[in-house]
Amino acid sequence: MNKMIAVLKREYLQAVRKKMFIIMTFAFPFLMGAMITLPGLMVSRGLGTKRIAVLDGTGSLRDAFNRPNEQPKKDAKDEARAALSGRRQMEIPSELDIEYVDQQNIADVQQAADPYLKSLRAEGKNAHYDGVLVIPRDAMTSDDAKLTYYSRSATDLVTQERLGRLANKVIQRHRLAANGINIETVEKLTTDVPVESVQISRSGEQKKGGDMNFMLAFVFAALLLLPSFIYGNDIMRGIVQEKTERVVEVLISSMKPFELLTGKILGVASVGLTQISVWIAMLAIAGAYGVAAASMAGINVAQFLRPIVFVYFFVFFILAYLTYVCVYAIAGAISNSEKEAQQFVAPISLVMMAPWFMMFPIIMNPDSKLAVAFSLMPVFGPITMFVRTLVSEPPLWHIAVSIAVSLVTIGVFFWTTGKIFRVGILSYGKRPTIPELWRWMKVA
Amino acid sequence: MGERMGSREILAVRDIVKVFGAVRAVDGISFTVRRGTITGLLGRNGAGKTTTIRMITGIFMPDSGEIRWLGGEHGGAFQDRIAYLPEERGLYKQMKIIEHLLFLAEIKGCRGSDLRKKIDYWLDRFELGAKRNAKVEELSKGNQQKIQLIGTLLHDPDLIILDEPQSGLDPVNMVLVRNLLQELRQEGKTILLSTHMMGEAERMADEIILIHRGKVVLDGTLEEVRASFGKNTLHLDFEGDGSFLETLPQVKRATVLSNTAELALAEGADPQQILEASMSRLRIRRFEVAAPSLESIFIEKVGTETLSQQEEAAQP
Repeated sequence: MNKMIAVLKREYLQAVRKKMFIIMTFAFPFLMGAMITLPGLMVSRGLGTKRIAVLDGTGSLRDAFNRPNEQPKKDAKDEARAALSGRRQMEIPSELDIEYVDQQNIADVQQAADPYLKSLRAEGKNAHYDGVLVIPRDAMTSDDAKLTYYSRSATDLVTQERLGRLANKVIQRHRLAANGINIETVEKLTTDVPVESVQISRSGEQKKGGDMNFMLAFVFAALLLLPSFIYGNDIMRGIVQEKTERVVEVLISSMKPFELLTGKILGVASVGLTQISVWIAMLAIAGAYGVAAASMAGINVAQFLRPIVFVYFFVFFILAYLTYVCVYAIAGAISNSEKEAQQFVAPISLVMMAPWFMMFPIIMNPDSKLAVAFSLMPVFGPITMFVRTLVSEPPLWHIAVSIAVSLVTIGVFFWTTGKIFRVGILSYGKRPTIPELWRWMKVA
Repeated sequence: MGERMGSREILAVRDIVKVFGAVRAVDGISFTVRRGTITGLLGRNGAGKTTTIRMITGIFMPDSGEIRWLGGEHGGAFQDRIAYLPEERGLYKQMKIIEHLLFLAEIKGCRGSDLRKKIDYWLDRFELGAKRNAKVEELSKGNQQKIQLIGTLLHDPDLIILDEPQSGLDPVNMVLVRNLLQELRQEGKTILLSTHMMGEAERMADEIILIHRGKVVLDGTLEEVRASFGKNTLHLDFEGDGSFLETLPQVKRATVLSNTAELALAEGADPQQILEASMSRLRIRRFEVAAPSLESIFIEKVGTETLSQQEEAAQP
């Protein structure tokens, strides 16, 4: 026991003193913050500005492009909700700088567009425009009329759609007016009726603003999963290093391999918990601001982040971590170099990450057969179950079964790892094949 | 050999076997180690020395046979009563020396306030006191070896197992280690020393165990072993070209170097004839008829195999 603690202490102190650990622990949240806020900042600084030439053959759409960057009006509540749900990120607008050219009196608009298109092909200073929108003369009258958007990138769908929307709105108004329909009446009658999402919990409690949960689920799932992989890798590297630096013989001649393995795994787990605690503390501070904003918007954030969620988080974090880390320990023990270990572990970790790839359907439908099955399965259980507790309220027996399955899995993994570890850590040379691994387990 | 001194045995190895695939790395080895001695475990590379030691230290389990720890002076778990310096030396490069030594002691179940004092004593003795807070990777290779040697002694072990402790050391450090081992023996510690450096074994060992291809081919006290080969060897120091010595009819086998030679005499040969033959061609500075050196014994016992046989015997 004392020896195991000596190993644990060594692993922990060596890891938390590393510059990289300190930088990662304190800089990572800022990095994440930067990733969320930077695109918006770039836009406001004009870095995302696009210069577009609009060649209007009808000559009457000037108004449509007067204020291209104006957002549709939202009330404060919508605004806050959009910000918290992270949806705003998906619709980050790039600033449009539109040069309107009235071409009503030009016979062939397409031909007149040539110099603009040339500029589109040019490079450097001559590249005056990023896009050219051509509106034909018959846009108002012909049923077959087509707007044409020229741009350098075929993927500039957002700009294309926005320009189209701007133009179409005015064209439609003109068409309606031409048919003698009162425009104001039409607008009034065709406004969307907003949908509000309300989650009904088992206790009958009603929760509004569930779209926020969506983002939270992703963030917490990442927080749960990432450290397991990062620190799993650390353990793997550590074991390979002990082999290549030949420290391992001294260790094994002084303690049981199982003590060494347990000490290492728990030591690195403590490192992970330390880091996560710091992150959550920082998140809480930043969150205080978010909660204030949310309560202004009439959302009670506490209803999503029930205290029990944090208990689940730590429980499932530890279960996920202990499950994954065994695989990395085996990889380290049977490999002679980090590269070899990576090759072994890469396909396995892809499989282990399956719940992450299925996260979207799981969050969207946390009580579906797929989500329930995943949450009760070994290996996939901890992360799926945690996400389910976050976005829904699964029956307690699901949670209990999931935890029990994970504990059994970890027990089996630990036993297997201990066996393979004992033989593998002392074997240099060729990496063993699967049948050889099987023999090791029986021999050790 | 151990029977007559049974009460003083500290370790008994009985008929241990270890097979790796098709290779019988250790093929029924038995010996005992007596308390307070330096026992030399000798053999060529791949003879089975390291595998034997790994079984004693509990790293490998023998396929069959038995290793019995007959107790040290202090009691306690076997693993905590032995020290082991592996042939493949290794320390955590990133750790500070003082912390590393504390760790090495802790995994032997040793802690307490005396420990730091002990570490300081040893560091000073090896002239490394100024480097106690340096990282391991900042030390030279020789100094790293000394740190590892210190690490094996901190928990006051009864049996110290050293696998090639002097490989890679310069002559000064070699003497340092040699003196240290003698001193430890005088303190009553038992030392099991694996080496292929016959000269060192001859200088230090009380008893030797010669292993070849996984089997013990010779064991006993150094005197016993040498005496059993009789006084049939001529030790010669000289100036001049001594290469003709190999061709003399009285010589069975010869090791001739630039100014010294060891000649194994043929049956019934008269050393006087060799002296006469040499005097006209060499300037003789020493002429001694004695027991063969350990190196000669070693070569006579195991050194006459071809390279392919050697490879066959090598460990996987």
